[in-house]
Amino acid sequence: MQSLHLRNDTLLEIATFLVRRWSEKHKMTVGIADQQEIQTKLKENKIIMFPLDRFYGIDFQKYRQFRTALWYESMRLKYSSKILSNDHAFGFLLNTLETRRIESLGRKEWRGMDEEIIFNYGFAWLYRPLLNSLYGKSRIVEGFSQYFLLGDIKGEITPSSFEKIKKAIEVADEAVNQAVNNNYGTDWLEVKVSEIIKILEIDPLLTIPISIPKISSGIAISDNDFIKTIGKITKFRESDFGELDPKRITEGKSVFEEFKVLLQETKKNENRGLSTESIGISIPSSTNVDETRIYDEDLISNLKAKFKEWKTGWKEQHVIAGDEFDEEAYMEGHKSFLTDQKISIKTKIVILLDHSSSIANEELQYKKATLALCEVLSFLKIKFTVYAFNTEQKQVTCWLVKPENVKWNNVAAKRLAQIKANGGTPLAEVYSIMFPGLRSKKPDIFLTLTDGEPSDPDAVRSMVTSFKLLGIRMVAIGVGPDTTAATIIANNLKHLGYESTLAVSRLNDIPNRVLNVLGRS
Amino acid sequence: MLAESLYIDWNNSFEVLNKAYDAGLFVLIIGPKGTGKTTLVREFAAKTNRKLESVNFSLRTRESHLVGAKTLEGGAIGFEEGILVKSMKEGDILYLDEINAAEADVLLRLDEALDDRRQLVLKESGGELIQASKGWFVIATINPLTHVGTKELPPQILSRFPIRIRLEYPPEEIELQIVKKYISGSHDKELLQAIKLANILRQAASVEELYYSPSLRETIAFGKMLDSDVRPRHAAEIIFANIYSQWGNVEYQKVNDIITSMFGN
Repeated sequence: MQSLHLRNDTLLEIATFLVRRWSEKHKMTVGIADQQEIQTKLKENKIIMFPLDRFYGIDFQKYRQFRTALWYESMRLKYSSKILSNDHAFGFLLNTLETRRIESLGRKEWRGMDEEIIFNYGFAWLYRPLLNSLYGKSRIVEGFSQYFLLGDIKGEITPSSFEKIKKAIEVADEAVNQAVNNNYGTDWLEVKVSEIIKILEIDPLLTIPISIPKISSGIAISDNDFIKTIGKITKFRESDFGELDPKRITEGKSVFEEFKVLLQETKKNENRGLSTESIGISIPSSTNVDETRIYDEDLISNLKAKFKEWKTGWKEQHVIAGDEFDEEAYMEGHKSFLTDQKISIKTKIVILLDHSSSIANEELQYKKATLALCEVLSFLKIKFTVYAFNTEQKQVTCWLVKPENVKWNNVAAKRLAQIKANGGTPLAEVYSIMFPGLRSKKPDIFLTLTDGEPSDPDAVRSMVTSFKLLGIRMVAIGVGPDTTAATIIANNLKHLGYESTLAVSRLNDIPNRVLNVLGRS
Repeated sequence: MLAESLYIDWNNSFEVLNKAYDAGLFVLIIGPKGTGKTTLVREFAAKTNRKLESVNFSLRTRESHLVGAKTLEGGAIGFEEGILVKSMKEGDILYLDEINAAEADVLLRLDEALDDRRQLVLKESGGELIQASKGWFVIATINPLTHVGTKELPPQILSRFPIRIRLEYPPEEIELQIVKKYISGSHDKELLQAIKLANILRQAASVEELYYSPSLRETIAFGKMLDSDVRPRHAAEIIFANIYSQWGNVEYQKVNDIITSMFGN
């Protein structure tokens, strides 16, 4: 059995991409949090999944369930106007009906999901609770849901309850069909839920316990057993899905390629040598963060347009001897030939972002500007690493936002978004935490963005010297509220031994300034 | 004889072009690549029975390409007219493709010819004054700014083209009709899937989640592949997914996964 830990960031990157395309909402974010249920928040444009290892079976099967669950949530986002909580009967029943409705609508477009949907039902069948293990009226509600979605019930239920269930399902089937055929939405279906509740004779606010399977996760069942289960489900859904091959569904070849990429990425990014944690650098771990709020699309596209010339890698220049003769330049007595010169920015750069409390007022703008910088660096294919620091409970933390070997993506943006501006500017301490790592990686430029004087100037001076001895060019950018303040900060920084210091008073100028530093190098 | 028209005028661009032509107003077509801008202009020239001169701009397009350059033949210095001068003299249609990829000095020269006097002083050829013949008509296109290698067009140039046509990707149904003009088999269902896929990728590229946005050329290629009996899933992979592998495995896989959820295996 595989026991690989899939890296959450690659997983999230692919998941976010898929959800945005499936739901056609490009501001959606996906997070992973340690919780019991998958949550989709329509208003916040957010899906919160539970970790992969909470799903059932071997790693590949877990991934398939994760992916199908994502698809269902995407369809909910696209087609549902409300998602109620599953913890009371009314919400639970509405969500059950909605599951079938959005599935039918989604399948019209995403025909390749058929096998995965059946696969998912197979696992649902195995891990849904036995009805006799449930107490009170919640049993009939679970029974309804099983019979409606999976075509059968697990365990025992009284004949009279079973009759009610069957009657309720007739109403439910009819309602969902009508909704799908006539394009009725969630609100229309909601009215039908009351009818079903009457037939089942339950209280709409009846508490429904979250179903936790009796079998602990991780136990693999035999392939044959599983194929049998899938066979049962395909039979039940044959009228909708047509004939499907249970064996093929069990194998899931089409999704395997995707899973293989995840495995490869995991292997590729496995840490060699010391882990970042062991040298005192932390990685912001929360994935339940909305990074879209720190994206300033206008700023990013402006910068890209401005620096796109760098991307072509060529710049036209007048020279004494070259590829093309320029008559005009000759007549006017300038250098008369034109030639294209290669400009390349092979520079390896490390950026440290100050997150002390003084930027707290403008935290959002500061993050937007620094994120835009990262987007442009990545657009220009510059090798860069991003660190940030803040202080919490008198303890300074150095955060790794983007490692050198990983591409800039929304996961890195999530990390940046969650670092809170707090505390002072103990720059020397941060430098000393970063020193061992940078000694081995040896970037060309180490750029510090700070908004104030460090609390430990003498120590900073000696750390800056140590970095310079490694051959690293030390650059500091002073960020101030206005030109005067910024210039004062930059001037003070100059005394700390940095090779160059710059002042920025408008946060949106940060990317420009940094790129110009690179252009000159 | 004219070949059967391949252009479907789904947003009444011909009408706008005709009216602009009658009024002597120059036209700017704005839209992403592969939306049929060039086909539209070619078709317009053919329909109105006019000669079409085209320039495809890039960073390397020089003033001399437009205006002309001095030549040395048999010891005598001559002047070979560029496409701008030629089209002005003949009163042809001049098509300036991707004008926003041009360098500033080239644009400056264009500006001179495009202003209301429609004339150009040829300092390259003894200061000769070129006056545009009647019927000289200029159509330019620009790609949206996000396109690599493009820049904002200066306002004075923009104002020379007071008629602006926006050409987006056509609606799915229209794209299907366009693709069908290029193929022989009937695969409507699969073609619609591919068009849907192309639109999804275009959308993702427009918010910069992907580095590349497929054009109409790709959906047409998809249809042609189906004509040659390639399975839809496979065709989608080779036309729409493989291109993304140049940006790494993950980029490729993202797109391939969308294809999987659309076409299955």
